[in-house]
Amino acid sequence: MAQASATAGRLGSRRFVETRLGGSGGQGVILMGVILAVAAARDHRHVVQTQSYGPEARGGYSRADVIIANEQIDYPQLQGADLLVTLSDQAAKHYIGGLRRTGVFLYDSDEVSPPTVLAETYAVPLIRLAQEITGRSQSANILTLGAIVALTELVTRPSLERAVAEMVPKASLDLNLRAMEAGLALKPEEWRVV
Amino acid sequence: MELWYTHLLREKLDQDSLLVQGNRASALGALDAGVRFFAGYPITPSSEIMETMARELPKVGGVFLQMEDEIASICACIGGSLTGEISMTATSGPGFSLMQEAIGYAIMAEAPLVIVNVMRVGPSTGRPTAPSQGDVMQARWGTHGDHPAIVLAASNVVDMYRLTMAAVRFAQRFRTPVTLLADEVVGHMRESFSAEKAGRYRLSSGDFDFTENYSRPDLVREVHPPHQLGAFRHPHVTGLVHDETGFPTNDPQKSAEFLRELHDKVAHHRDELCLYDVKNEGRGRVCIVAYGSCARSARAAMDLAQHEGIPVEVLHLYTLFPLPVEILQRVARRVEFMLIPELNLGQYAREVRKMAEQWTTVISMGKIDGTLITPRELVDRVSDLVGKYENV
Repeated sequence: MAQASATAGRLGSRRFVETRLGGSGGQGVILMGVILAVAAARDHRHVVQTQSYGPEARGGYSRADVIIANEQIDYPQLQGADLLVTLSDQAAKHYIGGLRRTGVFLYDSDEVSPPTVLAETYAVPLIRLAQEITGRSQSANILTLGAIVALTELVTRPSLERAVAEMVPKASLDLNLRAMEAGLALKPEEWRVV
Repeated sequence: MELWYTHLLREKLDQDSLLVQGNRASALGALDAGVRFFAGYPITPSSEIMETMARELPKVGGVFLQMEDEIASICACIGGSLTGEISMTATSGPGFSLMQEAIGYAIMAEAPLVIVNVMRVGPSTGRPTAPSQGDVMQARWGTHGDHPAIVLAASNVVDMYRLTMAAVRFAQRFRTPVTLLADEVVGHMRESFSAEKAGRYRLSSGDFDFTENYSRPDLVREVHPPHQLGAFRHPHVTGLVHDETGFPTNDPQKSAEFLRELHDKVAHHRDELCLYDVKNEGRGRVCIVAYGSCARSARAAMDLAQHEGIPVEVLHLYTLFPLPVEILQRVARRVEFMLIPELNLGQYAREVRKMAEQWTTVISMGKIDGTLITPRELVDRVSDLVGKYENV
């Protein structure tokens, strides 16, 4: 299972986890955030999901933030990221500053130039894997969701599957479920950057 | 028999988990409160309210109109209201400015309707995607003339649902426009909450329950009877000062009486209209008075400060106008500082100061960079105040 390391594997059982998903416009990071939030709501956790809008989203990078907690969430925005996931280099550079030293960083190893951070880091060719497995690089966001859950168990697998089924277009459901399964099957310890 | 939260219910993922966007929750609250007429013009960050109404209203036999602008939108809503339908529109600052003249008309004609203003940074087109609370005094005094105002403020997604319902109830009961203020963050965020609990507020100001009919003592003698188009009485509607026939009057006594009654129907029911919640009551030397997004910062700051050994009281206001005078003065008498965080340069702090400065020091903490005030910023300000006090 996903107990690759103490930090990543423990995120799912923490009472309060702040997650930031970053990428460039069109990579589907907003949808990724919404699906993660829906899955957490299905797990009966408290969730707040926010995102970047407008000029920022149309520029080089966009973000979706998800706070998952066991109690009511007061302040709705991120005060620091326990988990940062980025699919583009620009997003990585822009959002890395908000990552906690004790946090976890997952990035696309083809897109992002390796950063120097104290956080526990995982580098996976997420977009390339999506292209190989589904023939569509656009399914990288759903594959990444699978990878996040494999890494952290932030939401339960059945909830993730139901959330994906609810939120993606019917026509591409099979393709996206395959991408999700591929993400879930990743072995985090193989991708850890030491 | 439909459940009271029938529209909300469709959003349910399963037995009790919901994840709804703030703007959508406002539209669902309106539908569940019986709104069947919506006219609007899309504007960020409020457009999802309109989009939801466009999709849902026809399914329940309601009427949705996309108008050519915000002036036409609110005028259509006044028309809808005069036919007896509960009417609503939604906008943001620039649209709210255009609506002001007609809001005055609705007050004068006593046409109940709900206006949701999801605030963004202004003035003018400002920053469409950045949150603000810059329209607070516009919601109070935006239209000309001496007039009453009922203004509510939402701080989270479930507020968007139930305060929209409250706005509908208040509008119908007091026969006047009611403004619900939200901001970009509250409007656009998605948040989980329980459907069954969504209709109930357990507040310091008293429980507010939508699950039963909102039945209160009759206001027949205080609120003028509705216009009945097509019926025999009062077929005439005007923005001019009018008498009981609905036709204009210049009689000084009748004129003064009429305007006084418009005020009194709101002012005499502050107890019912003013919704608020007090946390850590009587436990700190500082009380943070907050509304909207800032109330969430305040609640988080309360916990953070507690953790750092500084007890802080929080007064969370859901009703901004009529001004909740009684609770503001009660808090003012027991604390040394009232700290008012706002996403403007102290619009509401000035109102609080008028009520409270004879008992306490009122401090405005305004932020206009289009980001929320963080709990850390608030706690630092509180420590600063408490520290200063100790050094005196």
